[in-house]
Amino acid sequence: MDGYIRAENVRKIYQSGKDAVEAVSGVSFVANKGEFIAILGPSGCGKSTLLMMCGGLEQITSGKISIDGTAVTGPRPNVGVMFQDSTLLPWKTVLENILFPVKIQKRPMAEYRARAEELIEMVGLHGFADKKPHQLSGGMRQRVAICRALVTDPDILLMDEPFSALDAMTRDEMNDALLDIWDRYPKTGLFVTHSIREAVYLADRVLVMTRRPATVVADIRVPFGRPRDPSVGGLAEFNDLCNELRGMIEHKRTPLRSERTGKAA
Amino acid sequence: MSLDSSQQASAIPERAYAIGLPIAVGVAVLAVWQIGVAVSGISPVILPAPSDIVLSFNGITGELLKQGWATGSEALLAFVLSCALGLAAALVLSSSTIAFEAFYPNLVVFQIIPKIALAPLFTFWLGIAAPSRLTYAVFISFFPVALSTMTGLARADANALRLCQAIGASRWQTFFSVKVPYSLPYFFSGAKIAATMSVIGIVIGEFISANEGLGYYILRAQSYGQTARIFAALVLLCALGLLLYVLPVQAERVMRKWWRG
Repeated sequence: MDGYIRAENVRKIYQSGKDAVEAVSGVSFVANKGEFIAILGPSGCGKSTLLMMCGGLEQITSGKISIDGTAVTGPRPNVGVMFQDSTLLPWKTVLENILFPVKIQKRPMAEYRARAEELIEMVGLHGFADKKPHQLSGGMRQRVAICRALVTDPDILLMDEPFSALDAMTRDEMNDALLDIWDRYPKTGLFVTHSIREAVYLADRVLVMTRRPATVVADIRVPFGRPRDPSVGGLAEFNDLCNELRGMIEHKRTPLRSERTGKAA
Repeated sequence: MSLDSSQQASAIPERAYAIGLPIAVGVAVLAVWQIGVAVSGISPVILPAPSDIVLSFNGITGELLKQGWATGSEALLAFVLSCALGLAAALVLSSSTIAFEAFYPNLVVFQIIPKIALAPLFTFWLGIAAPSRLTYAVFISFFPVALSTMTGLARADANALRLCQAIGASRWQTFFSVKVPYSLPYFFSGAKIAATMSVIGIVIGEFISANEGLGYYILRAQSYGQTARIFAALVLLCALGLLLYVLPVQAERVMRKWWRG
């Protein structure tokens, strides 16, 4: 379905006293159903704010975001969210953490319990259902967070740099795990990252954001199909695309600097 | 092998140090005290030697225990009440932002007031019997519990709160499933203060008006110049304070086990 998630000229202005900071300035994009879209940009470019607005977790200053034809005004039950931090409750076991949204949303526990157990198996956490978060490694905690985001079988998954706090090897592992998940439970995904390779490796499309103006400057289609094999990362085409994206981000940076020095002079 | 044995070898003295060192210091102080009293020939009415204090237990242990029971049972009741009331007040006052903002600064100001100075008022209001002492002890122990629990409720993990928002948790669900558990360590640090404050509160109450209890016993011994007996009562008070302190410490251990598995 075309235009499943639709953002039209979305702006976000943070007002603190007399100062106003434009965190997102006039972003428009369309995500089709079943697409995995990476939002790529340097830190502080407003990409997380954009994601949070899509999830109804931040107010939109002006413009409009709609999902499936209805405007986003607050969090929705068919949207799962993953944060940079795994945000597990330390007193709950792995299984209880995964079932936390089920409990809050008062869904039938028995039904979802089976699903949670299936998810635990799928992400390779067999035997860890009764462990507490502090007994897990960072990568395992983020796996639990994926399960928690997926347990209610949402149509949309919003991911805010979910692997950026992990070490490089664990991060690669998690990327592969996410590709697997996407093959088994196709969803519409928005994935915020500042890693160019991660964006190209995971996504069907990459939206490139810059810091100033904080907007989407390019919408690039990734020419690799699914299921996607880890060997994709070695292809010349893959590296060319990464270089192209890097060029875009750096190209947009250079005039920024001259603009600054111009102002200072 | 060699690593293991060296670790073991260093582990044992470390523990021995941790326990032995403070005990050694305590014993040294007592020894200096004992010798100092003997050498200086100071009157036992001014400062009895530790041995005099130990000997003074002879014949008064029964009475001391009876007085200790009076003080201890009241302090225990005051402690339990102040924890319950402090927790309840914190939950109610933190349930809305307006209530929190209206009451929290006032509680902080009240916490700062030297509440010992208010003790005579309580006999004025509530008479000279147990209810007056109890109310006063609860009054001074309540604030640390309420304040620190409120602080904890206000400091729940920001990420967890955002998660609650994302999954559509109601205000009450967020409050009870995230904020309250995150505030428990704060509650226990308040409860530990309350454990010592409640003993202090009861003893102050007994100083002002009582016909039993260790505070009363100390005043009576003072009027007879029985300094060793004052110290004997102090020894019992210390033991009492320790016993009461163990309660929140143990409860906190149970909580940590639940928290961390």
